[in-house]
Amino acid sequence: MNKRLIIPLLLFAFSGAVNAAPPAVELNMEKIPADRASVLRGAELVVNNCVSCHALKYIRYNDMLTLGVASAMIDTWRGSNPLNTRIMAQMPPEAAAIAFGGAMPPDLSLMAIARDGGVHYLYSFLTGFYVNDKGETNNHIYPSTRMPDILGISTATDVKQRAEIITKAKEMTAFLNWAADPHAEERKQLGIYVIAYLLLLTVLLYLWKVQIWRKLG
Amino acid sequence: MIKRTLAWIDRRFPLTSFVQHSLVEYPTPRNLSYWWNFGSLAGIALVIQIVTGIFLAMHYKADVGMAFDSIQHIMRDVNYGWLIRFLHSSGASAFFAIIYIHMARTLYYGSYRAPRELMWWTGQGLLLLLMATAFFGYLLPWGQMSYWGAAVITNLFRATPFIGDYVVIWLRGDFQVGDATLTRFYALHFLFPFIIVGAVVVHLIALHTVKSSNPSGITLAAKDNIPFHPYFTIKDLYGLGVYLIVFSVFVFFLPDTLIMSSNNVPANPFQTPTHIVPEWYFLPFYAILRAVPDLAGGVVAMGLSVLIFAAMPFLDRSKIPGGARYRPFYRTMFYLFIVNILVLGYVGATTVTPGTALLGQFATVFYFSVFLLLPWVSIKEEKYLRARGLPAELETLIKDEETQKAEHRQKHKRRHS
Repeated sequence: MNKRLIIPLLLFAFSGAVNAAPPAVELNMEKIPADRASVLRGAELVVNNCVSCHALKYIRYNDMLTLGVASAMIDTWRGSNPLNTRIMAQMPPEAAAIAFGGAMPPDLSLMAIARDGGVHYLYSFLTGFYVNDKGETNNHIYPSTRMPDILGISTATDVKQRAEIITKAKEMTAFLNWAADPHAEERKQLGIYVIAYLLLLTVLLYLWKVQIWRKLG
Repeated sequence: MIKRTLAWIDRRFPLTSFVQHSLVEYPTPRNLSYWWNFGSLAGIALVIQIVTGIFLAMHYKADVGMAFDSIQHIMRDVNYGWLIRFLHSSGASAFFAIIYIHMARTLYYGSYRAPRELMWWTGQGLLLLLMATAFFGYLLPWGQMSYWGAAVITNLFRATPFIGDYVVIWLRGDFQVGDATLTRFYALHFLFPFIIVGAVVVHLIALHTVKSSNPSGITLAAKDNIPFHPYFTIKDLYGLGVYLIVFSVFVFFLPDTLIMSSNNVPANPFQTPTHIVPEWYFLPFYAILRAVPDLAGGVVAMGLSVLIFAAMPFLDRSKIPGGARYRPFYRTMFYLFIVNILVLGYVGATTVTPGTALLGQFATVFYFSVFLLLPWVSIKEEKYLRARGLPAELETLIKDEETQKAEHRQKHKRRHS
């Protein structure tokens, strides 16, 4: 920090303006579904809407098979690629960089845990597009993002249509949440058994401890 | 067969007598509270880190092009790799939590006082080694926060007089944090835990010489000590069970709460994160670093804030045993100090605003004041307490100790005359 700044900073602090930080954009904290059906619909939506520009390089087609995506659908996605191919963007990264003004579309495998707010950030971003006064599309969560409003929420006015888009955004988020940590479900299941075992063991150890210490009178 | 093998070994190596002396009969104060469990828990945490670390090392690639991907390979493709990785990443936080509680107990009960100064100082060395190990390890996932954390901290060495710029290059092995930095941090992250094991052995040898302190702060008479086994083996096991439950909640249900979202983005030297924050266990020290408006001053203040603990045996002038238990002023200072550390932690975690900057400076001054005022406070407090008369409970304890010492002296004399 600059030395000359300190005195003005202190004066500023004393003047009572304590919270000078800009207000953070509020994320939409609606619940993101986690059921398998939503995740599977999300998988289809993500592959059809996002993978033209974005990669999911930590996910292989056979991971999708394990998730439960129909193998016929995977075959149309992968074309002649073997089943263990990683899901890469259809547009080469260099072409994408040119198309989006130098910004490369980021990999989506970890996107659900790569921003503060996690899935809520992702969902808020997908549904955060709007048309501003100048008629340009912008985003509340990530102003001046280069990504187009892929779900069309900024122009949708019909209530039914908006509800559909919101459901889609939630399902896409649900899938990306799975993609960020495919073992999460297995982890939580194992965790219940581990903790149940430890609880039982600890109760027994406690009783044993009481019994041993009783000898001391 | 087993008996004969043992006899064969015992003729050549003091195995049975060592186990008997140091683990079974080892005299331990019977009044130890559960706060005394954290020493053995720290040992378990160290073992968990070393074991999971070795398995991670089998799959990790220390190369800027592969490091981030290899973590995802461990998380996704290696059998139970996610478990090993989350045990290790959550284990680092758990290790610090245990060590901080262990230190807080030592401070509260005045366990650092004679004759346990060397325990306290070896512990201080262990804390520094642990911090270094955690710092090296945090670079390895090669995420944004890994990269920028290492860049910021190595850059602090620019404050070295005259040769600062060279020291920074020498530490990084390059003009910026890069492949050379990653590989050397990996090598050191592998080496340091074994140095820690060695230092723990020294810490334990010192412990077995001076024995455990206890909540009364007085060396107990023989009748108040009980053998370590089975009383403390079972008590430590029970404590371990409770600890593992809490640890498992983090590993299995909340592992991501301990990993910053920006560390799930691969390191990018061309894009500085909007705000660089260290892991929670470094936040109070980071706040002290930022509280001083000058780089060299900040680095010195941060270094001192960790090292000043070593001065505790000199700063605390009180002869009243039992640490904070029988010392109201010291107790108040202890709690204020803990609250102040939490305030510093909060300041370290937030972006700098004039308000938090001022709060950080105030808390930093308070942090050092507690240490610097301690000699004066402890002397005044002792005078005040003695004038008022010590609690009856404490008087008997002190008297017991004196008789015990007198007996010991007499025995000693008789033996030598």
